[in-house]
Amino acid sequence: MIFVTVGNHFQSFDRLLRKVDEFAPRFPQEIVIQRGYSRYRAQNAKYFDFVPIDTAMEYMRTSELVISHAGFGTIMPCKEYGVPILIVPRRKKYGEHTDDHQMEIARVLEERKDNNIYVVYDESQLEEKLRGALANKKRFIATQNIGRKNLIKVIKRFIEKDR
Amino acid sequence: MKKNRKIGLVCSPGGHFLQALKVLEAFEGHPIFFLTYSEKATSNRKNTYYVKNIGKSPIALIVGVIKIFLILWKERPDILFSTGSEIAIPCFYFGKFLFRTKLIYLESGAKVYHPSRTGKWVYPITDLFLVQWEPLLNRYGSKAKYVGGLI
Repeated sequence: MIFVTVGNHFQSFDRLLRKVDEFAPRFPQEIVIQRGYSRYRAQNAKYFDFVPIDTAMEYMRTSELVISHAGFGTIMPCKEYGVPILIVPRRKKYGEHTDDHQMEIARVLEERKDNNIYVVYDESQLEEKLRGALANKKRFIATQNIGRKNLIKVIKRFIEKDR
Repeated sequence: MKKNRKIGLVCSPGGHFLQALKVLEAFEGHPIFFLTYSEKATSNRKNTYYVKNIGKSPIALIVGVIKIFLILWKERPDILFSTGSEIAIPCFYFGKFLFRTKLIYLESGAKVYHPSRTGKWVYPITDLFLVQWEPLLNRYGSKAKYVGGLI
């Protein structure tokens, strides 16, 4: 299954869903879309609007690949599960977000070269990048996250001092 | 003798909420409650209070802020923790000035170079202010700390 997700942001991201719908018939995989507040109705893929957070995690964990907006809530679990993810940043100029922070996170991840993250700035290249990502059979190992451990440690210490 | 601290986690649904779940270990051993928007993504969760999205309309804002006040009045948390978004603003200000609550804010990892609106609002009154990307440090004051990010 390929899971396509655009998160909980209140603006629509039809640009991505239209593209996915267009190439969906050319792929043998089942494609499932979480469309959130988007309005586009896919013809060639199943879609739903929202699910509880645990269900969304389960979709990501069991996917062959995830296609997503550059939302932190999708990138984080995909990294954790070692699931390849193609991210397409939402743009302010198309009315997809209130600012362009998704471009910034996309660039920073691209520079870091995380090997299960593929950044696609132009949706016309999505199909080609998707084929490349699916052909890459390398298994990704979920990485140890030192940042998370440090954050937990610092917060814990603060709470203890407050006692 | 060690005393438990009551901790309130206030976050909007989606990525913000998920980031709070990722650091939940930090609150182990303390009684906690969540405060979030009533949306499908956060439906039917344990120890959770719900308000309607306060960003949607002026009426939702007024009703939501009153509800938030009543929840904090009832729970009297010692510490509030948030990863954003704007739901943190009324919570933190009520907490700080009415209930003497200690405040912890973790800026969303979605923010790399530019501070979030919520972050700017709560920075002055927050006791422990964490960012997930180093470039953000000099966009905030000296109180901001960077010890790593969630991705």
